Amino acid sequence: MSATTLDPGQSATSHAAVAARFADVDAVYATTRDLRLLGFVLFLVSDCVFFSSFIFSYLYLRTAAPVWPPLVDGKQLPYLDVTFAAVNSVVLFGSGVTMHYALESWKKLKKGAFNGWMVATIVLGIMFLLGQAHEYSGALQIMSWTGSSFGATFYTLTGMHGFHVFIGVIYLSVLLVQANRGVYTGSKYFGLTAGTLYWHFVDVIWVALFFMFYLW
Amino acid sequence: MSTELFEKAVALIGAVLVGGTAVVQFRNELPLRSLDANVTKLLLGLMIVGCVLAFLAAINVLGVHSAA
Repeated sequence: MSATTLDPGQSATSHAAVAARFADVDAVYATTRDLRLLGFVLFLVSDCVFFSSFIFSYLYLRTAAPVWPPLVDGKQLPYLDVTFAAVNSVVLFGSGVTMHYALESWKKLKKGAFNGWMVATIVLGIMFLLGQAHEYSGALQIMSWTGSSFGATFYTLTGMHGFHVFIGVIYLSVLLVQANRGVYTGSKYFGLTAGTLYWHFVDVIWVALFFMFYLW
Repeated sequence: MSTELFEKAVALIGAVLVGGTAVVQFRNELPLRSLDANVTKLLLGLMIVGCVLAFLAAINVLGVHSAA
């Protein structure tokens, strides 16, 4: 069996089968794959540090404030709508699940299922972004970016996260096109692995933001 | 049914479904020892925590102060 072709008719049902197939690839790819994977994980770590700096700024401002949400013109800002945020969170977490299934489908050489799960992931990502836009339309009625520490930290952190989701949607769309053009095979699919890790990372950042801004 | 009740129901059912599926995926990853599998396990675990938070928010255990 060729190691560089993906035949949707074939099926491998275990990681052992995938590992056996992976053993066929050339040594250069096997070596560079590990290095690229390490580099990508380090990129995620650096992104984590980036978000951490803003998160600690928020924690400092929140704990230093006499009341939270802070006062603006003598009136306390209201809390944000937790119910809608919970629905939007579930949408984003659901996209993490579908992305994981997409990668597993690719490993098992099920190209049709892969396409379906990828499309589902992209659609859920877009739904999350639309939900965030709806959230912003409501939040902008009660607080601005520059009017309070709450608004500054909320729009900065959720805006940066939304930007990551936006980039992720484009990234996954490119991966979907590449996969269907034969860029990836049953044994060489590092791009798909990286895309899955990135999307899981975006999910996990939202866990922290959801807790800080809506539940705490 | 009010909009808020409907949203709570969606969040509740979604959190259970997504969280349960994530647990299954996490268990499938457990035997694997590669770097990407380990990172995936960590991220899936944290995502499960997120589903628990969404579940607790949907049943009014967390975020009860947050009526805007």
